[in-house]
Amino acid sequence: MTAALVLVGLVAFATVLGVIWRASQGRVHRARGHVDGIELGDRATLLQLSTEVCAPCRATARVLDGLSGDDVRHIEIDIADRPDLVSRFNILQTPTTLILDRDGIVQSRIGGAVRRELVARELEKV
Amino acid sequence: MSGQQSIDPRGPRFSAAITAVVLLVVIALALTGQSLVAVILLAAQAVVFGIGAFAGVQHHPYGLLYRRLVRPRLQPPVELEDPRPPTFAQGVGLFVVAVGLVLHLLGVPLALVIAAAAAFVAAFLNAVFDYCLGCQIYLLLVRSKVIKSA
Repeated sequence: MTAALVLVGLVAFATVLGVIWRASQGRVHRARGHVDGIELGDRATLLQLSTEVCAPCRATARVLDGLSGDDVRHIEIDIADRPDLVSRFNILQTPTTLILDRDGIVQSRIGGAVRRELVARELEKV
Repeated sequence: MSGQQSIDPRGPRFSAAITAVVLLVVIALALTGQSLVAVILLAAQAVVFGIGAFAGVQHHPYGLLYRRLVRPRLQPPVELEDPRPPTFAQGVGLFVVAVGLVLHLLGVPLALVIAAAAAFVAAFLNAVFDYCLGCQIYLLLVRSKVIKSA
């Protein structure tokens, strides 16, 4: 029956979309660029670009806060305040986290809610 | 950055699950020649979307079911969330479904099915994968300067 096939196909399609999206969240990507106009951490900066209305941003802020310390700074910016960063880094989702070295050079970027172990591992390399 | 009146995040996801099922039924009805029933059901879902969008997701009819039937059986939520993204998402659902209904009444073939399918994908992604379409659209609106962040 066509209807049954359409329903099954639709659910399958939505499932595939969901699995692909899930897998892409929190992945670390190499990135380039430079961020100015913020107070940098002594060793590294975890720059979180958020929107005001963003459920995953809150959870990510907690994780990044937990990873910050004496020489690693966590900064959360509303993208509406820095449209220059939005276009420079083509921000398409929030949260987007940029991991910066002590000079504000971008080491890597993470789209979506971050995974603690991956961020910790990246921080070791900065 | 925090929202007012935080809510149990499982409520909107439960509502999304019910919405997804309703939309699948609409599609099934539309594809098996039950066009009138499909229209009525989709219109009812549009009203539900509308209540959620304008009264806030806290007053969502499916959310009411969640609070009465499901939540008493669960542990209290680990964390709360801002009600604005799911409320916004109801508005998106209302828009998509309303367009589908209008196009259907104008005689566009498969308008009902396509609109219901689009709304289904969003509801399903939220229910199963916790994907927040409202958050994504909000970001794109801020990017294109349609919304200025408060």
